[in-house]
Amino acid sequence: MQVIDKVEGKVPRLPDLFSWTDEGVRIRSAKCHDCDTYFFPEYHAQHRPDCPRENVEKVLLANKGKLATFTIQHYMCPPPFKTTGDITPYGLGLVEFPEGISVAGLIMETDLDSLKIGQEVETFDYVLYKDEDGNDVVTWAFRAVK
Amino acid sequence: MRDVYIVGTGEHPWGKFNDKNFVEVGEVAVAEALKDAGVRWTEIQAIMSSILIYGGNAGHLSGQYIESMFGETGVPVVNVYNACATGSAAIRMAYNSIAAGETDTVMAVGVDLSPKGFLTAKSDDPRQDRDVLRWRMTGMPNPIYWAMECRKRFEKYGDTPEDLADVKVLLSQFGAKNPNARYKKVYTRDEVLNSKMVCDPLRLYEICAVSDGAAVVILSADPKKIQSANKPVKIAATTMGSAIYGDPTIRISALSAPSKAEAPLLSESYSASKQAYEKSGLGPEDIDVLELPDNSSWHYLQYLETCGFCGEGEAHKMLREGKTQMGGKLVVNPSGGFASFGEAIGAQAIWQVVEACDQLRGRAGERQVPNCKTAMAQTYGLMGNSGTTILTI
Ligand SMILES: [Zn+2]
Repeated sequence: MQVIDKVEGKVPRLPDLFSWTDEGVRIRSAKCHDCDTYFFPEYHAQHRPDCPRENVEKVLLANKGKLATFTIQHYMCPPPFKTTGDITPYGLGLVEFPEGISVAGLIMETDLDSLKIGQEVETFDYVLYKDEDGNDVVTWAFRAVK
Repeated sequence: MRDVYIVGTGEHPWGKFNDKNFVEVGEVAVAEALKDAGVRWTEIQAIMSSILIYGGNAGHLSGQYIESMFGETGVPVVNVYNACATGSAAIRMAYNSIAAGETDTVMAVGVDLSPKGFLTAKSDDPRQDRDVLRWRMTGMPNPIYWAMECRKRFEKYGDTPEDLADVKVLLSQFGAKNPNARYKKVYTRDEVLNSKMVCDPLRLYEICAVSDGAAVVILSADPKKIQSANKPVKIAATTMGSAIYGDPTIRISALSAPSKAEAPLLSESYSASKQAYEKSGLGPEDIDVLELPDNSSWHYLQYLETCGFCGEGEAHKMLREGKTQMGGKLVVNPSGGFASFGEAIGAQAIWQVVEACDQLRGRAGERQVPNCKTAMAQTYGLMGNSGTTILTI
């Protein structure tokens, strides 16, 4: 697996949350080898009580996971959330990754009426809006695996 | 530790008061509590104040403003913030100060004028402000979190849209009988089911509004004040809890949770209620009236389980069998709940205790639960905050 440092024309809205790789977009996490816990974001530690907190390693979560739960939102989220135009209704889901951590995110490019708990989804980069330089400002999001 | 009693309560009716400032709203509740307790302002030995900080330090609404209105006396004024469990922290500090013998008579005050619209992140640094990411990257206002947990229940336990609607119907019937409630309309199941879908499966009428309001309790261990009080209410326990490692709840502000549960859902509320049962020697079976935090219909169902009033997945059975209604074994939110009042972050936990006291003191008018001897008030605050107060008469 190869991390791609820069994707032409795309910038994340905030850094250090996901990476582009030759195996798709992968959420950035950190694993504590002492207490066997994963963090997301990687900079918000969530150790087991009494963990020595010495062996923490940055990792990438698998590209695919299972939908643990979801909702369909019918009102636009107020600022500072920002998208090009109104994206409602939009999906939001909690995705269980094989590593043992679940991460929340937008569900886009998916028929929302067909969503089911337990279905397989993949992580991708969703374009929120364009910045002044014409770059796509992106976040991580999930979509149904076809 | 000595016994501590609530000797007086006060409440400002809840609503939206665009022409009043927070001190004016608080003044009404403070004056009412002093009068009810028969306590002079100069007899208050400490003030524990719930504050809402909005806009940073300069904008915080502090207990000192309230104190100056009634006359500065030099007593300790502590301003505390624990999200929606802020009032629980104020009551707990008041209780501990008195129980330990530091003071005899203390006021806990909560006043809040909610800002218009959503309470979104105030900074843009996600490393230190854990509320940033959800507003910038995923578009997740609070009800999204509740809806995601609610859908898990639908899948796991078979809760239905009708159950969610029936919670609102029940609460609206109580709220219609509470003169201090903001919303007094009685809803039918069809009206609720036809309200706008906000975040599936939660509809507009199944999610609480944000309100302005104030509530005050005066606590005392002074034998004279207890004796002269009109039906003093004993605090059997007042506790706070934070989350436990391994809690699978997708907690507000966070964007991750462990996939495998190693602690109960809503573990901060589980912790607070468990401590309260242990300290009081009372259990869920002893409670006649429960004021729980119905931020949404999901909370109503979930809290019955989190606080041990039924087993996991059984809350909808309690609801359907009428066990939480007037005449049921446990009357839930006879105040009308947040469904009828809306939430006012700094004030709501104290407000729940005031409403529970009204039931214990036989002052609840048309919504009075007959023979109410033991009541519990349970709070829920985002980011792992919770408090429980158990009261007896
Ligand atoms: Zn660790």
